[in-house]
Amino acid sequence: MSPQGRLALVLGGLAGLLVAVAAAALFIGSAPISPGAVFGAVTGRAAAESVERVVTLSIRLPRIVVAALAGGALAVAGVAFQALTRNPLAEPSVLGISGGAAFGVVIGQSFGLGLTVVQAVGLTGFAFAGALLAAAAVYLIAAVGRAVIQIQTLLLAGVIVGIFFASAITVIISLLDFNRLGGVIHWLLGNLAPIPPGALGLFALLLAAGFGLVLSHARELNLLALGEESAQQLGVNAERLKLMIFTGAALLTASVVAFAGPIGFVGLVVPHTLRMLLGPDNRLLVPTSLVGGAIFLLVADTVARNVVAPAELSVGVITSFCGAPFFVYLLRTRYRGAL
Amino acid sequence: MRAPALAVGVLLAVAPPAAAFSARDMLGREVTLAAPPARIVSLVPSVTEILYALGAEERLVGVTDFCDYPPAARQRPSVGGMVNPNLEAIVALRPDLVIATTEGNREETFAQLERLGIPTYLVAAHLVSDVTDLIARLGALTGRERAAGPVLARLERRIEAVKRAVAPRPRPRVLYVLWPEPLIVPGRTALVTELIRLAGGEPVTAGEADAYPRYSLEAAVAKAPEVILLANHGANTGPIDETKWQRLTSLPAIHAGRLHRVDGNLLHRYGPRFVDGLEQLARAIHPEAFK
Amino acid sequence: MTALAEFRAVGFAYPASAKYRARPFRLADLSFAIAPGEIVGVIGPNSSGKTTLIRLLTRVLEPGEGEIALEGKRLRDWGRAALARRIAVVPQGVSREFPFTVEELVLMGRYPHAPGRYFENPADVRAARAAMDATGVLDLAPLALASLGGGETQRAIIARALAQEPRLLVLDEPTAHLDLRYQAETAALLRRLNRQRGLTVLLVSHDLNLAAEVADRLLLLADGRVARLGAPAEVLDEALIASVYGCAVRVDTDAGTGPPRVRLLYGRGVAGHV
Repeated sequence: MSPQGRLALVLGGLAGLLVAVAAAALFIGSAPISPGAVFGAVTGRAAAESVERVVTLSIRLPRIVVAALAGGALAVAGVAFQALTRNPLAEPSVLGISGGAAFGVVIGQSFGLGLTVVQAVGLTGFAFAGALLAAAAVYLIAAVGRAVIQIQTLLLAGVIVGIFFASAITVIISLLDFNRLGGVIHWLLGNLAPIPPGALGLFALLLAAGFGLVLSHARELNLLALGEESAQQLGVNAERLKLMIFTGAALLTASVVAFAGPIGFVGLVVPHTLRMLLGPDNRLLVPTSLVGGAIFLLVADTVARNVVAPAELSVGVITSFCGAPFFVYLLRTRYRGAL
Repeated sequence: MRAPALAVGVLLAVAPPAAAFSARDMLGREVTLAAPPARIVSLVPSVTEILYALGAEERLVGVTDFCDYPPAARQRPSVGGMVNPNLEAIVALRPDLVIATTEGNREETFAQLERLGIPTYLVAAHLVSDVTDLIARLGALTGRERAAGPVLARLERRIEAVKRAVAPRPRPRVLYVLWPEPLIVPGRTALVTELIRLAGGEPVTAGEADAYPRYSLEAAVAKAPEVILLANHGANTGPIDETKWQRLTSLPAIHAGRLHRVDGNLLHRYGPRFVDGLEQLARAIHPEAFK
Repeated sequence: MTALAEFRAVGFAYPASAKYRARPFRLADLSFAIAPGEIVGVIGPNSSGKTTLIRLLTRVLEPGEGEIALEGKRLRDWGRAALARRIAVVPQGVSREFPFTVEELVLMGRYPHAPGRYFENPADVRAARAAMDATGVLDLAPLALASLGGGETQRAIIARALAQEPRLLVLDEPTAHLDLRYQAETAALLRRLNRQRGLTVLLVSHDLNLAAEVADRLLLLADGRVARLGAPAEVLDEALIASVYGCAVRVDTDAGTGPPRVRLLYGRGVAGHV
């Protein structure tokens, strides 16, 4: 089957699965609401201030949307980083961006700059600023004084920046007042929460921009497997490609960490699973990872918020629990997806 | 002569309904409700304790996993932890007010509740006066002002009794260990600091900023405390390891064998049991006064 | 006849890196032209500048001095994709973890024809299959490249270059690491492509005899400069080769039939360096 055919088939299947999972997630939650009531809320027949309407439309639905968007973004960022660095271990958090965002949030939370200031700028703003700072640092370390960005230098710079911010976070935590500690640690575990429509729109916009950048260069990413020199000799502007991919993936990562906290493993599990199914062609991996990542995180989050209800587990815990054994499995089997 | 009365009568009849219930919380925020709150969710164990003490528990529809006193509170529906309460569970209880604290709950939670149209009443207490204030406020909030009076009076009497007992005695230097590893001590804005003073001790870490800052063991040793109090946190946090402290034989407290355990639950919460904690402190610091 | 590609007094120096060399490497005053339809072999010792030459020709590097022209137009005035439609490079190999199939590899050669296209169109697929057919790897199309042997891999890479439909095919050490048999095959393939399609070929090789066998002209580089440019018989001169490569050689010519053959004199002969 031609690649177009395979893409259409898998994408269609995944999209159907996403709709089904999202619909199911709408019916599952800690508030005891009957399926009929949920259905009524969705079709607009529930009373304005009724519990089912508030829970279904203001809590569950936004959270489902966030989970799907964040999961898709993280998976696409994973594909992009893996192709860019030609390293199967590359993951959004490897390039230090999550660390920067986490640092921004910890600063915002711990100096507790008064309820109003934090609300106005939003922890999201702090996280985004931190993420951009980290991304800029990584890029500059790899780029300054050179005409050409070496991928290995980029990876190293990412690791170093990540470690630096992780240490900075530890320092702050160790000095932090006991009462604020719980909140900061809670954020660091990665939690999805319903986001108001305005913020959700902004989130979706940022993700669309990042996704667009990566998708439009998917074909060139394939050529990068030949080596930068060969890719250039085929007509690819390698420097520009690296910059575009890095920017796109950084934008995706920064947005997710800012709005949802640091969530790991999605960028590793989803691309590699799809690579086993579809092969290494990034033109197939990028769009299918978007939907596949959405499904994965949505399922993980639904489990996280229901398995020990009314308490909630952090979604980051679920993805790690799932991700670690899967990673071991990957390491032990050969797969065509080697980069 | 009847006209003015008639006029007033008409005015009263057409006047708008009784003013909406409004209160100012401990952060100075104006909280407005349609009526006095009848369905309250408490995200603060201390608040839960106070509501029971005031006899207002029938208005309490939801609590956290940590609201374990009085035992009856554990029967109430739980909405999760203090840091990550479950929004759905809260909404499903249809509360008209959520009481939360800035010391233990997250700002994100207040923001979410606001967006869902659920009013939040925020509290915070650092001093004994804050605690009595909180009891009075909750009394007003739940229409139990008449119960608040006697509760406060009893607390006041017991505090006075302790103060009288310890007044003539010299004040030993007291090190309070909230948590041993990492070492966490009460600072300037912790309730425990004031309670130690009331119990006739001199809290050595009172100069530190914040409520519960970290502290180095060295600095603690340098303060040469004459009494060391180790706080335990209830049945599920295991026995306190005293050996580490017993080894510091140079400390006056260890030399004199004045290493005691106290019940942290009584001293870190700002409910009515703080006086039980106060009495426990006083007995540990000045045992001779209570023979 | 206008040259297909021309180097005019080209100079280039890698940024000085003290770790790597005692003195920085330089290409200097490089001038030569490649006529359409000819096969030019570039020979010389390692680090004489052979690979640098390819990089300059394909704009991976920019010359510090001089000019390079393709079809009469300055190289820097060519767009990247347009250049890739004219010049195709066959590198020494691909990385061991290359994950794609032969067909996917060859299709990559179609990129310069429509960089904006997401998937290749039927015309691209036809061109790729024709290229695979020309190098005899068509039936290997669905196989993973990593599963092929050295010779087949080489032919697949050449097919990718052919899929670019270039006018000039550049090969960088095509027979390094290949068995003798494949060396003969490669030579035959290049000659066939040159004769049947008029494909101009630039072949960089450390194998003097292969170059002499295949090429119409040889360019001998030494220390970043042109040591000699001309027919194999002119360039493969014993004294010249000995001085450029620093060892004793004998050049045999089977009178009239075939190209000169270079024989290394192991430890015997002229300079007596043993």
